Amino acid sequence: MSLTITCPICGKRDGYEFRFGGEDKGPRPDEDGLTPQSWCEYVHLNECVAGRQKEWWVHKDGCGSWFTIHRDSVMNVEVATPEAHK
Amino acid sequence: MFGKYKPLLGEKTQLKSSYDVVIIGGGLHSLATAYFLAKEHGITDVAIIEKNYIGFGGAGRNTAIVRANQRTQYNVPLYKEALDLWPVLTKDLDYNLMFNNCGNLNLMHSEAAMKAARMTIATAQFHGVESHLLDAKEAKELVPALNISEDITFPIHGAMFHPPGGIVRHDAVVWGLAKGASKYGVEIHQQTEATAVNTKNGKIVSVETSRGTINTSKVLISAGGYSASLIYGMLGIKLPISVLTIQAMVTQPLKPLLNHVVSSGAYHCYANQTLKGEIATGAHMDQWPNYTTQTTAHYIKHQAEALSEFLPCLRGLRFMRIWSGLADMTPDMAPILDGNDQIEGFFMNCGWGYFGFKSCTVAGKYMAEFMAKGEAPDMIKPFNLRRYEQHKLMGETAELVTYTPNN
Repeated sequence: MSLTITCPICGKRDGYEFRFGGEDKGPRPDEDGLTPQSWCEYVHLNECVAGRQKEWWVHKDGCGSWFTIHRDSVMNVEVATPEAHK
Repeated sequence: MFGKYKPLLGEKTQLKSSYDVVIIGGGLHSLATAYFLAKEHGITDVAIIEKNYIGFGGAGRNTAIVRANQRTQYNVPLYKEALDLWPVLTKDLDYNLMFNNCGNLNLMHSEAAMKAARMTIATAQFHGVESHLLDAKEAKELVPALNISEDITFPIHGAMFHPPGGIVRHDAVVWGLAKGASKYGVEIHQQTEATAVNTKNGKIVSVETSRGTINTSKVLISAGGYSASLIYGMLGIKLPISVLTIQAMVTQPLKPLLNHVVSSGAYHCYANQTLKGEIATGAHMDQWPNYTTQTTAHYIKHQAEALSEFLPCLRGLRFMRIWSGLADMTPDMAPILDGNDQIEGFFMNCGWGYFGFKSCTVAGKYMAEFMAKGEAPDMIKPFNLRRYEQHKLMGETAELVTYTPNN
């Protein structure tokens, strides 16, 4: 499926060079006060948004860096970050 | 012939302002649930709300393979009952579901895979499901077209043969169940989009649709690959699901040469010959979530390479069509069947990944019982959503672990 992703180091590359790293769920929860529910939420639960979402990718067949992008899951295209419009 | 056409689903009806049960999604799981609600539990005031048309999603896009050779103790009995239901439903629905009971042959390409097959077979036999271990020569006797030589990328060490499985015509199941449910008075509203589910004091009160509001106390969302997005969007319940697209394709028709469904984990390929003679084959998933149903030359090439190695007589054959559908994958490759938990009167049936077709009738049967009685039947209790926070994942992953974005 055609998808290009913009690596912060290597630039715009073929999507098959990358691996999807999950929806962006913010920082890993603090060990203090961690409950099975909050851990499950961080590890397993997704929003599965049909539309724009912020997500992690790793450039596995390239420089190896981890980064976030915004992508439209209905159109399957990378989109500009919301900050870029300001 | 033309003047006397009788619509399959009954006359087009107006959407009423209330129903006992509203089911969002018009696929196989929804149709089966509605059918069993009406037939087994006498609940006939049911509306199925479908945005497109019945069978638009996974119901009409799967490759129609049925089997019960899964790995774990909770899954095998469920799929066994699903297999046993095909002949029963063919009679009860008075509709030819075209169950071709040809059996499944899973190829193993290493000693480690053979060991895994031995465990799977032991589980199957324990649950009364016929399954055998074959060596490569025996596999070739069953499917003479197989290449069991050593000079292919993944030489065949042996196979797991599961005679009770086979192929069912998936469109026939959609039409048969729709006809069966309609006969009892279930209303199927196509071209109707559910836009919101309203709750009050933790209970379901109504469903908003593109054709108006429906008051109801029971809602089931079983919309295949679209379920997770709908459930989070409408009710804020997050699910351990990733929605990936899965591709399949068919070749030009041939004379009969494959008497069984043949599949290979190492080649990421399965193939069966349809009753029309085409070789239906798949399946690949792009490993990032998306709601497109795009297809790629990338995978046609991969499929051609795999088939021409282990079924070399197919070399040079032309692919006629390629398509894709959505698979809602869970981390443990087992579904989520839950209800009356977070919200009273809300039920969900999703997370089937690419096992949604083979399980549709049995899932419908037990979800109907669940919705009628308010209490989960023992058979589907282990498939609740809370198993993920309790770390009771099911381990139904086998060799296909690379098929989720979590790996």
